[in-house]
Amino acid sequence: MAGLEQQPLLTDGHRRDGRAYEEFRNVFLNTGVISQASGSAYAEFNNTKVMVGVYGPRQSERKVGYSEQGRISVDVKLATFATRQRGVFGQTPEERELSALLATALEAATNLASFPKATADVYVLVLEAGGAELAVAATAAALALADAGIEMFDLVTACSVSRAEGALLLDPTTDEAAREEAGLTLALMPACSEVTQLVSRGPWSSSQLREALELAMGGCAQLDALARQVLKTAAAEAATRRQQEAQRQAQQA
Amino acid sequence: MASPLISAAEVQWITAGVSFNIRNDGRQREDFRALSVQLGVITQATGSARVQLGETDVIVGVKAEIGSPDPDRPDCGRLVFGVECSPVASPAFRGRGGDELSGELARALERSFYPGPSGRAGGVDLSTLSIVSGKTCWVLYVDALLLNIGGNLHDALSVAAKAALADAKIPKVEVVQGEDPTDEPGYEVDDDPQWFSLYLYEPDYEVDDDPQQAQRLDVSRVPLCVTVSQIGAHSVVDLTAQEELCSSASVQVAVDESGVVCGLTKRRQKGVDPSVALEMVEVAQRSAAKLHAALAESLGGQQAQQMSVG
Amino acid sequence: MEYVSPEGLRLDGRRPKELRQLKAELGVLASADGSAMFEMGNTKVLAAVFGPKPVETRSQEDDKRCLVKCEYAMASFSTGERRRRGKGDRRATEITKAIRNCLEQTILVELMPRSQIDVYVQVLQADGGTRCACINAAFMALAAAAVPMRDILASCAAGYLESTALLDLNYVEDSGGGPDVAVAIHPNFDDRVVLLQQDNRVAIETFEEVLQLAVAGCRAVGEFMRQRLLEHTDALAAAREAGQPQEGAADDNEDALDEDDY
Repeated sequence: MAGLEQQPLLTDGHRRDGRAYEEFRNVFLNTGVISQASGSAYAEFNNTKVMVGVYGPRQSERKVGYSEQGRISVDVKLATFATRQRGVFGQTPEERELSALLATALEAATNLASFPKATADVYVLVLEAGGAELAVAATAAALALADAGIEMFDLVTACSVSRAEGALLLDPTTDEAAREEAGLTLALMPACSEVTQLVSRGPWSSSQLREALELAMGGCAQLDALARQVLKTAAAEAATRRQQEAQRQAQQA
Repeated sequence: MASPLISAAEVQWITAGVSFNIRNDGRQREDFRALSVQLGVITQATGSARVQLGETDVIVGVKAEIGSPDPDRPDCGRLVFGVECSPVASPAFRGRGGDELSGELARALERSFYPGPSGRAGGVDLSTLSIVSGKTCWVLYVDALLLNIGGNLHDALSVAAKAALADAKIPKVEVVQGEDPTDEPGYEVDDDPQWFSLYLYEPDYEVDDDPQQAQRLDVSRVPLCVTVSQIGAHSVVDLTAQEELCSSASVQVAVDESGVVCGLTKRRQKGVDPSVALEMVEVAQRSAAKLHAALAESLGGQQAQQMSVG
Repeated sequence: MEYVSPEGLRLDGRRPKELRQLKAELGVLASADGSAMFEMGNTKVLAAVFGPKPVETRSQEDDKRCLVKCEYAMASFSTGERRRRGKGDRRATEITKAIRNCLEQTILVELMPRSQIDVYVQVLQADGGTRCACINAAFMALAAAAVPMRDILASCAAGYLESTALLDLNYVEDSGGGPDVAVAIHPNFDDRVVLLQQDNRVAIETFEEVLQLAVAGCRAVGEFMRQRLLEHTDALAAAREAGQPQEGAADDNEDALDEDDY
C-alpha cells in the first residue's frame, strides 16, 4: 500500500482503475429492494454500495410540533464494516453532517405540501464506502422516494468531482478523494435544472468552479437517464405482475 | 431551537423591501451590519476574540496544547474545532438543546479550513505547528461559544475564528537533545506558566522567559465564510434572524483574501438554478473582499496597540 | 509553594484581606430580558435572565410562587487546560443547585405565582471563585431584568493558607489544599447568610475568622454592585431624559426603570 501512495493517480489520460477522467464507475441502480419499506432503492458504483429505505409519510412525532409542510427526516448510517477502519456504533458527527446535507438535497425536490403534519423517514445505509458516498446516497434516496410514491417535482441525481494532479475527475474513488486538491458534490434536479445541494472543499478559482460544475451537471444528466430507465422498468414490471394477478384471479373465478 | 414565529405579512414586507434594495434596518442587499472585533477577551487562552455582527455575538477561544499528530500527516499539527451553544443565548439551548446546531456549525468551520492532502492547502500552514515529526505537534483547539443569536451565525463564527487564530501566540519550543543519546528529546518552552505541569518530568526542560519569542500564526490565507441567501429573486448577505425566516435557499461560501473559493455548502429547502448558484458565489466573493478588509483593519489596529503596550 | 510572602503579599500581589478587581457590566446581551457580565480578577462570568414568563411544564406550575430555573455552563476554553465538560456533570449540577437555592431566597417568588424565571450562567474564564462570581452575575442580571428581590445578593469566598486567612482565592490558592469557604449574604438583613459551603477541614476558631472575612468580602462586593446598579439606573434615566435610547442598552432596560420607580 505504501508504494501505491507514492504513485501518481493518473497515467496516459487514465486513472488507476482504467477509467477516463470523465467516466463513471460501473453504475447499478435498482428499486424495490426492501419489501417492508414504502419505497427503497439500492445503488452500487463499484465499491460504493448504498441501500435506502423510505418509510411513510406517517404522522410526525408529537414533540416536533405542527407544520403545514411535510418533513423529511434523513438518517445516514455507515455500516461498521463500510470503511477501511472499523466504524463505531452510534451516530458519528460525520454521519450527522451527511444526514443534514442529504436532507437539503432531497427537500427541494419533494412536494412537501402534499403531506402536511407528516414525516417521511429516509434511512440510508452505506454498506461500503468507496468514494462519493453523499452523491450515491442522494441519487439512491431520490429513487427510493419516487418508489415510495411520494410526490416529487423532479428526480434528484448527484455526482462528485475531484481536482487532483491538475485534472478534473468525475466520480472519484476514496483513494482519489484522499489526494485531491479540491472536490465538490453537486445534487441536481436535472429536468428543471435546479441545484438542490452543492458542497465543496478545498480551493477553487471561479473558472475552475464553473468548469467543475459543468462536468458535474453532465454527470448528473447521465445518471438521470439511467435512473428514469430504472423507474420505468420497475413500473412496467409492476404493471405486468398486476395483470398476471388479475388473470389468475379471473381463471380461479 | 424553537423557530421564532413570523407572519405572512412580515415575510411579504421583508421580501418587497429586498426587491427595492432597502432592508428593514436601512441596509442594501450586499451590506453587512456593523462588525466589532475585540481581541484577547479571554486572557487565559492562547488567543481569543469576541465578534459582534449586529445582534449576533460570539466568542472564540484558541487553546494550544501539545499532542500527537494525525498518523496520516505526521509532519503537521492539528486544528480541532468545537462550537458550544450557551444557554445564555436562548432557553432553547438548555441541556442538550444546542447540540445539533453546534455540530453543524463546527463541521462548517472545519470544512473552510480543509487542509488538503498535503496539510498545506488550508488557511493555516499546519506544518509550522509540527514539533517532532510523527511524535509531537501543537494541537490548536478552536472553541466557539454562541452568546447571542441574531442571524448569520456562520459568518460571525468564521470571522471570530480567524481573529482568535490571529491573536494566538504560540510559545516557541526548542527540541533539546537529551544527555543520554537514547533519551527521548526534551522540550524547551518559552514564557507560558500554564505549560509547567506538562514538562515537569521531561529530562531536558529549560524555560526561556522571553515572551518576545512566542510566534504568531500566519492567518493571512484563512478564508472567511459568507452566506448568500435568496430572498424573493435576489441575493442578500448577512441576514438578520427575521430575514433568515424569509429565505428559501442559501449558499455558504468560504472565500480567502485573493477571492478563491475554499468551501461551499448549500442550505435550506429550495433548489436554485445553476446560474443563480454561480451568481451567489460571485456575490460571496465580492462581499468577502469587503469583510476581509474590515477584519484586517480591525486586527491591524488592535495588534499595533498591543505592540505599543508590550 | 509560598502563598504569602514575608512581606505579607500574596502570589498576585494582593494583601490577605484584599479582593481582586471587580468589574460589572449590565445589559450585555440583546435577546435576554436582563443580562450581566461579572468579573472578579480573571474569573469572568456572563449571566442571562429570561422571564418572568408562563411556566413551560404545566406539572411544575405552582400557584403560590414562581419557579426559578437555573443552568450553569463552562466554556471549554475557560479553564487553564482545555477540557470539554458535559453540560450535566456533577460539579455543574451541584453549582446549579447552589445558585438556584440562593436565588430562590432572594427573589420575591410569592409576587409572581404561576410563572417561571430562567437564569443561565456561563463561565467564560475560570480562575477560582466561579460559584461566587456566578451568584453575583445572576443577581445583577436579575436586577437588570427588573425582577423584584428582597435584597442585594452578594457572594464571596475566603480561605486559610499558611496560618493566614485569605479573601477571594484565585485558582492557584484554591488548589493549595486549604479550606475554601464560599458565602453569600443579604447585606441589608444583618448579613443574613444565604449560602455557606466549605471544602476541607478547618479548626472551629479558624473557621470563624475565615467566615467573618468572607462576610466582610461579601459586604464589599454588595456595596460595589449597589454602586454599579445606581450608575446604571442614572445612565438610563439620563438617556430617557435626552429622549434617545442609550447606546448598548436594550429597550427592555427602560421597562426596568419603570419597575424601579414604583
